Amino acid sequence: MDTSVFRLEGVTKRYGDLVALNDASLEVGANEYLSFLGPSGSGKTTLLRVIAGFEAPEAGRIYFEGRDITNVQAHERGIGFVFQNFALFPHLTVMQNVGFGLTHGKPAMAASEVERRAAEMIDLVGLSGMEGRGVDQISGGQRQRVALARTLAMRPKLVLLDEPLGALDANLRSRMRSELRAIRERLGVTFLHVTGSETEALAMGDRVVVLDRGTIIQTGTPGEVYDSPASPDVAHFLNRYNLFDGTLSKGNFTGSFGAVSAPSATRAERDVYAVRYDRVKVLPLSAKASDGPALKATFIASEYLGSSIMNFFDAGQGHLVEMEHHLSLGAPEIYEPKQDYLLTWNPEQAIVFGREATI
Amino acid sequence: MTDTVTIQDRQSKVTRWLLIPGIVWMSLFLVVPIAMIVYVSFWTQTTFNISSDPTLASWKQFFSSDTYTGSLWTTIRIWLIVLATTFIVGYPTALFVGLFVKSKTLSTVLLVVCVIPFWTSFLIRVLAWRPMLGKEGAINIVLLKIGIIQQPIEVLLFTELSVIIGMTQIYCVFMVGPIAFMLSRIDRNIIEAARDLGAGFGRIFWKIIFPLSLPGVVVGAIFVSVMVLGEFATSGALSGRKVNLLGNIIVTQVGSLKWAMASVVGVVLTIVMGIVIAGLLRIVDLKREL
Repeated sequence: MDTSVFRLEGVTKRYGDLVALNDASLEVGANEYLSFLGPSGSGKTTLLRVIAGFEAPEAGRIYFEGRDITNVQAHERGIGFVFQNFALFPHLTVMQNVGFGLTHGKPAMAASEVERRAAEMIDLVGLSGMEGRGVDQISGGQRQRVALARTLAMRPKLVLLDEPLGALDANLRSRMRSELRAIRERLGVTFLHVTGSETEALAMGDRVVVLDRGTIIQTGTPGEVYDSPASPDVAHFLNRYNLFDGTLSKGNFTGSFGAVSAPSATRAERDVYAVRYDRVKVLPLSAKASDGPALKATFIASEYLGSSIMNFFDAGQGHLVEMEHHLSLGAPEIYEPKQDYLLTWNPEQAIVFGREATI
Repeated sequence: MTDTVTIQDRQSKVTRWLLIPGIVWMSLFLVVPIAMIVYVSFWTQTTFNISSDPTLASWKQFFSSDTYTGSLWTTIRIWLIVLATTFIVGYPTALFVGLFVKSKTLSTVLLVVCVIPFWTSFLIRVLAWRPMLGKEGAINIVLLKIGIIQQPIEVLLFTELSVIIGMTQIYCVFMVGPIAFMLSRIDRNIIEAARDLGAGFGRIFWKIIFPLSLPGVVVGAIFVSVMVLGEFATSGALSGRKVNLLGNIIVTQVGSLKWAMASVVGVVLTIVMGIVIAGLLRIVDLKREL
């Protein structure tokens, strides 16, 4: 039995010469929270717009609830879309916004039923008492909720969210994160959430889909993606890895930090050595490490993040190396700016990419 | 504390200075002339003379004469018709220029194209309709040539129809501009959101696009109304003296030095315009749109 709610098969979309989506295939189950991570221009918004039906793909098919919807009009797809700028109807009240799809969509619904369902949604997103307000008389966070309620009122099986938290301030963003998850779980619908923020993608998705230049380059649980990025690009987008160029040859990786044994390596088009920020250790220059990686670097500055401290080092030629110290592991060491230190790490914890792959 | 007081003091001083030129200008060229017209409308007019003795004679004459009241109704009728035709022709044009044309450059170019007729003088634009609409004019010649009609259509020129055609052409762009501006400000995502919520094009137009463009319609209607209500040249040139608007009456009265009567008509016209503008402004709250 086909358990997927939604399926993409080789979807390709071009704008002139630019390939916005390249042969994207994906299967999404019912009751799932999927986050799409990618830099701007990676095609993630295009992907959502193609799924919603605002753009037609050049090639490939889109299936929704077992039906081919590639040529179905946007308003007949039954897929909800939440816009980054919320796109509320500025001349209507909160109630009229939420009830818009129920009133004007197909099939037409009785006014009392519209009101009941709209009120139910307004209650769900915690906006009771604001029904009669104009949408320019409420705060950004409340507008976000109206946008969500308006989409959810249609009871879609699939909701597409285009950077839904992008327009909110940091405080509100973290609160809306948990609320989005809670609302989704209560309704049991599938969310596809596009974001440029790796923290948001990892925190919210049951699965994370990483996109780069129109291609899906990794799909997996947040843990899988975080711990074993499929390519140097994924490691780069996660913003948690120091990346070093070098050469992988016969189980040894040679880079600016010396030659280190690399017993296992992931296949990639170029040789890259990745070390997570919190795996880096800082030693005084005098403490010559007997073997293993050793990288001379100049301390630049540190940044206090509350639960941890980020230390920035310059490893020469402007190569920035970041080191994260979790404060739960004890008080941080104080480094002198413009002083040289020796950076090292346990080679077993590094991830190696290369053409001479072992796996 | 003292600092804020001085800043406020300074600001109010600056405000006063900035207000002066406007106040002087408006008083000299708007308030005083209007007061003067109202005053003169109560003067006593004899055939060859006018004196400032107050009388209601001109007012009584205006409201008791079929010519004058008829002209008031003609003005209102022509105004309503032209308002409707400029809207009917202008709204689809604005919809195309402001909403359907995706490129900003192209929509600017199209708006400039709409304005091109203004490169010639107003009177020439009006008079140019004569060789177009006449019995042996361009339209009749073309229609005869392609065999749609056997006899030239004579109602085209020197009728109320020709005045309406002329005014619609001249004032249409004042309707197109503000509407296209409002339409171009509509966030495309809003329309997509409405589509995503299952609304078809008709619903989206009537529930979203039209209400959001309404301020543009009102501004356009105010432009057209003010200009059409005060019109005299188009009706003078294209109606063959058959259509007499209040503006034409003023021209004739001033021409024969009947200042009191001209003033009465002027006051009536000003009041009509005031009512029309106040009425149009009640449709939308323009302050919210600025």
